[in-house]
Amino acid sequence: MRAFNHINAKSLDEATALLKKDGSVAIAGGGDLLGALKDDIFPDYPKLVVNIKSIPELDNIVLDGNILKIGTLVTLADAARNPLVIESAKAVSDAAGAASSPTLRETTTIGGNVCQLPRCWYFRKLGNRFNCARKGGERCFAISGDNRYHSVFGTGVFKTDSNTNRGCIAVNQSDLAPILAAMGAEFVTTERTIKAADFFGVGVLSATVLNMGELLIEIRIPVSEVSKNCRYKRFAFRKSIDFPVLSVTVAVDADKSYRVVIGGAAPTPYIAVKAEEVVKGKNITDELAQEAGIAAINGAKPYKENEYKLQIIKTLVKRELIALGSN
Amino acid sequence: MNNTTPPTSLQAASEQAAAKIAAMPVRPKVISCPICGLRFISYDDLNGHYISEHPDSIPPIAVTLNVNGKNCDLIIEPQLTLKQVLQFHLGLTGAKEMCDRGACGSCTVIINSKPALSCNILAAECDGKIIETVEGIALIPKWKPLIDAYCKWDAMQCGYCTPGFLVAAKALLERNPSPTVEEINKALSGNICICGTYPRHAQAITEAVEFMAMEYANAVERS
Repeated sequence: MRAFNHINAKSLDEATALLKKDGSVAIAGGGDLLGALKDDIFPDYPKLVVNIKSIPELDNIVLDGNILKIGTLVTLADAARNPLVIESAKAVSDAAGAASSPTLRETTTIGGNVCQLPRCWYFRKLGNRFNCARKGGERCFAISGDNRYHSVFGTGVFKTDSNTNRGCIAVNQSDLAPILAAMGAEFVTTERTIKAADFFGVGVLSATVLNMGELLIEIRIPVSEVSKNCRYKRFAFRKSIDFPVLSVTVAVDADKSYRVVIGGAAPTPYIAVKAEEVVKGKNITDELAQEAGIAAINGAKPYKENEYKLQIIKTLVKRELIALGSN
Repeated sequence: MNNTTPPTSLQAASEQAAAKIAAMPVRPKVISCPICGLRFISYDDLNGHYISEHPDSIPPIAVTLNVNGKNCDLIIEPQLTLKQVLQFHLGLTGAKEMCDRGACGSCTVIINSKPALSCNILAAECDGKIIETVEGIALIPKWKPLIDAYCKWDAMQCGYCTPGFLVAAKALLERNPSPTVEEINKALSGNICICGTYPRHAQAITEAVEFMAMEYANAVERS
């Protein structure tokens, strides 16, 4: 790593004030940032690294009435073994316990998992060799290049961009993002409260809609039938130390309205509305689940090398809906 | 003829670990400015010198790490990882650097009684924390059966990943003193061994657990 200044922030105000300056970047668990700094992937190397782990009171898990509040600095291992999380939102515990490796989970945080940068190999290429759209460049190299792990549901649209030719097809590979989207979680930041559907976005060097100097401080999960009847299944090439190639989260409400969210298939967690419509208000049968699986990939736009993903989505949605129905 | 038996490789290893820990510097020998070479008595003087003479440079920072029970005052560059500080400032080569991205587990150490990857943590953020490396574990008699079992079952080939496995195994046994084979495999799933010694780790740890339980029962009987 090249030289940078390092400050242990004592409070949120101090951290946000420091992060509003150019060339500063926040570090919590370091799982994402340190790898990026070692690979030197940023167009501008940060001058200042602000440690937010030293801010107190951000690593609590509390059940406040009907809302499960998880602080941003809760480590993935703590989230996976916390009895409150297991009882009220089992899928969050499953996903937190499946991300990265057992040792890494002890230090990496839930906020970092949600806000992590994409794993696209053009984006992550050593020494910033591809100045791609996600770094403020002109084009996405994966659209015409090797896109076997990329989006099958189109390009991500940059939030502040009029040039529609510029897209990014790197997927959001967070384990927790699709679950939080399915559960309708709310993200509390230093400036506002954002609904899960609006939180994830495509930005230059960002996978969320957070502004510069804005920090995620808490995730609020409404505890309900949805959060309890939720299943998460990831498809990865290795059992441990791997990002999910695809993941499927299914949940069901008391009035049989279903949620089907697919992770790793689009630049943001993809809500399969058509699959939800197929099963809405019905009891799951094998035929219905099959139909929902086909509906889930309706409108997909695979690229040259990632058509295989559609078959996996179809099968995972079918299997998980059947498993959810038989609970 | 020499009557003393030659030391076993295990004894040699723990002696080597003891020597490494004894050689760890408790405070920096010389506090000098890396840019102009001036010497100072304390870190505060060096910091003041940076502010007045080199305002555009990044000053080193002072941290205190408790490594294997020894408090070490260090003056380090902010971008160093814990792994680099252990190796280059303290001379502890037990934690190994393989992937340097947190994907292999060879650099596992224990920080505040939790396993952690030292290549993926900045040393600047470990100020005041209690760090245990494989050298420290080799010196504690309680964990001798674990190392014995690793030697007996030969749970290594080239041996580069073994310290990481051993530290992860110790962290597992502290949390769960009698793990099943599945639990062992799960807890060690963050460590990668390119020689493919995976089944032997579970074998070695299971045997160490049995031995330690037997020793404990004997000790209770004697008392």
